Amino acid sequence: MNPHSSDHPLCSDHGGEHPTVLDLPHVPLGLKREWLDLETRRHFLGQGVKALGWAGLATLLGRSAPNLLANSPIPGAPAFLPHYAPKAKRAIYLFMAGSPSQFETWDYKPALADLFDKDLPESVRGGQTLTGMTASQTRFPIAPSIYKFARHGKAGRFISELFPYTAKVSDELCVIKSLHTDAINHEPAILQLTTGNMFPGRPSIGSWLSYGLGAMNEELPTFVVMTSKMPHRTNVQALSNRLWSSGFLSPEHAAVALRSGSDPVLYLNNPKGVESDVRRAMIDGVNDLNRQLFERVGDPEINARISQYEMAFRMQTSVPELTDFSNEPQSTWDLYGPKAKEPGTFAYNCLMARRLAERGVRFTQIFLRSWDQHSNLPKNIKLMAEDSDQPTYALVTDLKRRGLLDDTVVIWGGEFGRTVYSQGTLTPTNYGRDHHPRCFSMWMAGGGVKPGMSYGETDDFSYNIVKDPMHIRDLHATILHLFGLDHSKLSFKFQGLDQKLTGVLPSKVINDLLA
Amino acid sequence: MTSWLSRIFSVARFVRSGNASPSARRPSPLSRVGRQGVAFLAIAVSSARAEDTFFAKRVTPILEQKCVVCHGAEKQKGKLRLDSFAHLMRGGEGGPAVTAGDPKGSELFVRVTLHPEDEDFMPADSKPPLTPDEVKVLELWIAAGASEVIALAAIKGAPALAAPKAAVLPLAPDWRARAPQIAQLEKALGIRLVPRSMVATDGLVLRTASSPGRCDDTTLAKLAPVADLIVEAELARTKITDAGLAVVGTFVNLRVLDLTRTAVTSTGLNDLLALKNLETLNLTATAVDDSGVAALRQMASIKQTWVFETKAGGADNPTAAAKK
Ligand code: HEC
Repeated sequence: MNPHSSDHPLCSDHGGEHPTVLDLPHVPLGLKREWLDLETRRHFLGQGVKALGWAGLATLLGRSAPNLLANSPIPGAPAFLPHYAPKAKRAIYLFMAGSPSQFETWDYKPALADLFDKDLPESVRGGQTLTGMTASQTRFPIAPSIYKFARHGKAGRFISELFPYTAKVSDELCVIKSLHTDAINHEPAILQLTTGNMFPGRPSIGSWLSYGLGAMNEELPTFVVMTSKMPHRTNVQALSNRLWSSGFLSPEHAAVALRSGSDPVLYLNNPKGVESDVRRAMIDGVNDLNRQLFERVGDPEINARISQYEMAFRMQTSVPELTDFSNEPQSTWDLYGPKAKEPGTFAYNCLMARRLAERGVRFTQIFLRSWDQHSNLPKNIKLMAEDSDQPTYALVTDLKRRGLLDDTVVIWGGEFGRTVYSQGTLTPTNYGRDHHPRCFSMWMAGGGVKPGMSYGETDDFSYNIVKDPMHIRDLHATILHLFGLDHSKLSFKFQGLDQKLTGVLPSKVINDLLA
Repeated sequence: MTSWLSRIFSVARFVRSGNASPSARRPSPLSRVGRQGVAFLAIAVSSARAEDTFFAKRVTPILEQKCVVCHGAEKQKGKLRLDSFAHLMRGGEGGPAVTAGDPKGSELFVRVTLHPEDEDFMPADSKPPLTPDEVKVLELWIAAGASEVIALAAIKGAPALAAPKAAVLPLAPDWRARAPQIAQLEKALGIRLVPRSMVATDGLVLRTASSPGRCDDTTLAKLAPVADLIVEAELARTKITDAGLAVVGTFVNLRVLDLTRTAVTSTGLNDLLALKNLETLNLTATAVDDSGVAALRQMASIKQTWVFETKAGGADNPTAAAKK
């Protein structure tokens, strides 16, 4: 059926003359209404555009349209208003890809020291399926952490000596020790953390926030991703843009990946000899053609395309200002350390994240890879911690002293936990750990999260959760809650379902974590 | 005009009046309220006869709040209705929901005490589960014979009712009446006036992040028509000066004010003393010093001030001072 032909037979205002979908038996009323709405909208797109003007369209299409339609009275109007006044306006997610071991970081298990090289009791493992990497091991010898722990902060939290800097902000952190996930391998587990689903094609957390709440700063992307230089490289996780894609949401909700080096956004600079006004004229021309196309076929993707041209043009001025660190005071360099001057390092990215937060970017995700210590864990986890500890502390401290931590939530963690038993040979100075989805630790700080708090407990082997399990979905529900969004209502209709970040399985906001 | 057409025209009107788009795409909150209202009425009718029974006072409110959306007049999941005593006793697909005197043998009780991840757990669909107190109330009631008429006082040991939640305080007048003005101001001034939430009395955020360079003292002066609606003012990196703070001093419902990296000084801060609701004030990287900040920190409403990269000091932290 052609929705654009003028004698459209199913025009729903002729309901009295033709049988309509409403007359169909055995179809739930809700579905009929939905079908009618769809039909109405198509018809409307085909015929009504000129009558109502762009503003009307903008409203019907949600955020994608208004953004670019220069004469819209509602630039950047989001699909939702917060369901309740938010605590967090932005989030910075420090994604420790590869998964740091909980034993050497946040989940202190002093009793293990006496169990060095003892076999993990079968009852603890409870017949769990292991990865191919350790399934064939004949023994599962217990490997206590080689790193010591000490109490820190007013809360007296035990923190590993790997994080002397982060320990200084212990009282800002809410450490969760009882996260669990469904996937045992990196790619699906990272996807589940970033998009709520193990399968590619779903919108990332940042995309949901962009869709739900719109932009705070129209000159910069709402969702930014950065990957960091690694201090060493073993078992490096592949990262790809499916981790920060907008999935079935309009493409403008995808992250813009900031690269290190002189060209933070690819192809943003005008080619030699092309002045800004020439570029502007070109974009206007292309947009004009695209608008005509939109009027004819009514595909929202066309609007997304226009918006991307516009965003790119605006970023030609906003990005150079963003990436020019020359006005940073000396106190910044003292805090973040010398590596912050080297583009692409984790330290540089943390500083960039603070600058993005100051400018109103809603969601910044920084990936630091190579935490996947199947072997040589003691040596390699130290390299990773040394690279990231000071910048992490610096970011939390900097946000706090600038008054940004109250409404910026910082999230730190990997995609799953690691095993209590050694993968490969265990010696007093060396061991490895395999993947372990049943429990792992993360922390959050700021943005309405209860500071100084610990949540959840694992058994003596940090193998099973004994108190307050928190699934990834609960983490997502809680993050959305901080932004004032009800996870069960933030949805997008796709393939006949009300798609949500938290999906259809049970998920809940963890109220105990809220300040 | 058939319904779809009227819907579109109401959208069009909505747009022309400058209202923000969201509610146009959401099911109207009103219709939801309406539905709940209906369910509530049904219950009110059934229990009106027996005002002071345990069933009316303690059991009904729980069922109404947590179960009737799916087990009421509108929907009868599992062919079960829980919106009246008679319906409850009739039970559903699986027979009676309650066996008098035997909580553990009552489907209704069993369902709410399963593990929340159990398929059969009620309320279904990860709707808010019963609190331990609510579970206790159901248990006591069934154990005492699941009667419609047993008096409130006859069942001992029921957990006290939680104090009714304080009504949500309006932070500012309802902005919707001024939607056209808001839209005009946004367009003319290049600023945003964003509702803080769906609650229309939660006030507006004055947002300038897209082009802080366009916002100066004259911009603020033009915001007089919405001065009382602004609850948060994000003015970081704008061009405002002390003269602008005189205008900010008229934002009577202001709670959060960010002046980071603006040209304001201690002199201008005096104008903020009029803001009786001001809780959070960010003065990072401004020219203020202790002479201006000290008085502000004395304000009863102030909870947080930030003075990093300024000449002002703080009690326990040289760069930030939290009062509480
Ligand atoms: C979100 C919708 C929803 C809510 C809310 C809900 N239920 Fe249910 N309930 C269902 C569905 C669907 C079924 C049918 C499937 C099943 O038996 O599990 C059901 C079935 C039942 C049954 C079994 C009926 C029978 O005879 O087979 C009982 C008992 C029950 N619910 C009790 C409750 C109680 C008590 C509450 C409130 C605490 C509640 N439900 C809230 C959806 C809901």
